[in-house]
Amino acid sequence: MIEALLEPKMLLTIALMGTIVYITYLTKRNTTASDFFVGGRSFGWFTNGSAIGGDYLSAATFLGIAGLTFQLGYDGAYYAFCFSIGLTLLAIFVAGPLRRFGAFTVADFLAYRFHSKRARLAAVLVVLAISGFYAAPQLLGAAQILSMFFGTSYEFGIIFTCIVMIFYVGIGGMKGTTINQALELWIRLGAFIVMLIAAMYGGLHYDKILTAIHSFSGPITGTSPYALDGSDVNFDGAAWTGTGFYFPTFWQTISMTIGLALGTIGLPHILLRFYTNPSAKAARKSALMAIGIASAFFLLAVYLGVVGRAIFISGSASEEIMRDLVLGGNNMVIPTTALALGGDWLLGLVIAGAFAAIFSNLSGLFITSSGALAHDLYATFMKKNITQKQRVIAGKVAIVILGVLYGALGLLVKDASIGHLVALAFTVAASTFTPIFILGIWWRGMTEKGAIAGLIIGLGVSMWMIFLPGTLPSFLQFKIPGIVTVPVGFLSVILVSLLDRKVPADVNDFMKRVHSKESETI
Amino acid sequence: MAGSHDYDYVEAGTVDVKDLPPLDSTTNKIMKDEFTTGLGLTVLYFIFIFSIPVMNWFAPDFAFKKIWGGMTVTWFVTTVVMMAMAFVIAYVHTTLYEKRLKKYEMTNK
Repeated sequence: MIEALLEPKMLLTIALMGTIVYITYLTKRNTTASDFFVGGRSFGWFTNGSAIGGDYLSAATFLGIAGLTFQLGYDGAYYAFCFSIGLTLLAIFVAGPLRRFGAFTVADFLAYRFHSKRARLAAVLVVLAISGFYAAPQLLGAAQILSMFFGTSYEFGIIFTCIVMIFYVGIGGMKGTTINQALELWIRLGAFIVMLIAAMYGGLHYDKILTAIHSFSGPITGTSPYALDGSDVNFDGAAWTGTGFYFPTFWQTISMTIGLALGTIGLPHILLRFYTNPSAKAARKSALMAIGIASAFFLLAVYLGVVGRAIFISGSASEEIMRDLVLGGNNMVIPTTALALGGDWLLGLVIAGAFAAIFSNLSGLFITSSGALAHDLYATFMKKNITQKQRVIAGKVAIVILGVLYGALGLLVKDASIGHLVALAFTVAASTFTPIFILGIWWRGMTEKGAIAGLIIGLGVSMWMIFLPGTLPSFLQFKIPGIVTVPVGFLSVILVSLLDRKVPADVNDFMKRVHSKESETI
Repeated sequence: MAGSHDYDYVEAGTVDVKDLPPLDSTTNKIMKDEFTTGLGLTVLYFIFIFSIPVMNWFAPDFAFKKIWGGMTVTWFVTTVVMMAMAFVIAYVHTTLYEKRLKKYEMTNK
């Protein structure tokens, strides 16, 4: 028992948990809804930039990108490139105006842009759909790590992580969440940098390992004991380093580029973070900092995926590493590569980093969705004269409900790829909230009916193309259907608005508020 | 509406878009400046973004030419150059925005 507790992976994970508990305890005083949902809008650009990075760089980045690169080669690395685009577009078109607008939740934007409860309700539905899509792969990552490195069952991993999140977000609110997210980002980045140094020290230079992989063709020795069919896994290095390995046509690649590039603008948990800045100027600086960190992170994640592949085909890895790389699947490439590069201590650091990624992202999703349930649904539709204290309590109850819902979703995605699932969440966001925010901020002609139509049609078409591709003709079957769903989302808003023509009478005041330099620090 | 951020619903009513009065000149100018800058940078960014799949699928000899060990042109551009590009575009946008903000503050003084 004591020996197990003294293992590096256990020690470092306990240290991370202890830090989270301590920060959560220090920030537990949330007396107003502003404290609980937007951290009292008190965080400067550095803390917020780190927290945005922490929120954005989820398990999909920490585990998923390297895993996709390991599995799909260039096409996997292409995911990282597409993920890297969105924050920049968000900084350009949405960050500043959104902060000037203020409020607590993403649905607030629609509700007050159109003075519409129906628009709020539609927004809540989409927030919950996107958050569910995003939360399930995070829980999958946590459960797989617990299962692989701590010997627990998948189901235990899901339940354990949900309980930790309920405590973490329920007590700390946005204040605790922001500080924890900022800290967790640097833990992850630190883990990646140590892995980079270890790989370089081991002579695994980028050019050299890509050469070795490109020239490899045939069975990978040492994989047969763990392969399902009992024979060594075959690998074609030239196909892996080329394009078309996963996305077989030009249009499949373009479709993914559109879905992922525009998805970030519509991610509710990222949008919410801009409300926590003290000013619009700080919001832009936060975004800039998060982009710098995210870009560095993506670059490192792709490189480490290549390192994992190089170790896998080298024939010199230990039996334990070969077993973990075959059985762990692509989601567990980063921990296994860490073990190969630096032994138990580096594995421990990476496991702590992976939990940091998962907790950080999940906390953002929990706080966003709790706002949707408590603030947008309960306080708007059920209990109108609600006190600040009751709002905070409603937020905490919502977190418990979400823990159960997300846990159920996590149990359904056991064998999925984290990176790909998150990519689908991006596509839904790009087809729903992205048109709403871009057009809502920059076009006075958008109407309430246009916004609701955009959300419902965008969500419906995305779900159809993701879950029922078999019902579509082959030319409409895309792995990431952004090329169809994003234009459908934009066109629905524009066409219905043009037909409806009834814009809010105070739309000019709204535009003045979100664009005026005078409201810079409101 | 300003200040508290805890809005109450106010019935604002609707108007036909053709009866909507024009925006005041200051807000109109700010919006135009911001949008033109943002759109210009976005178009430039997307030219770079889409040039990668175009290069991969229509000029594969160039895209998969090795430039440094096993590192091909497209691998380098996709995983290194474009990561830097995301930051550069956002940095240029923020710098231009701050310049406009300073100019606005000077004019107001």
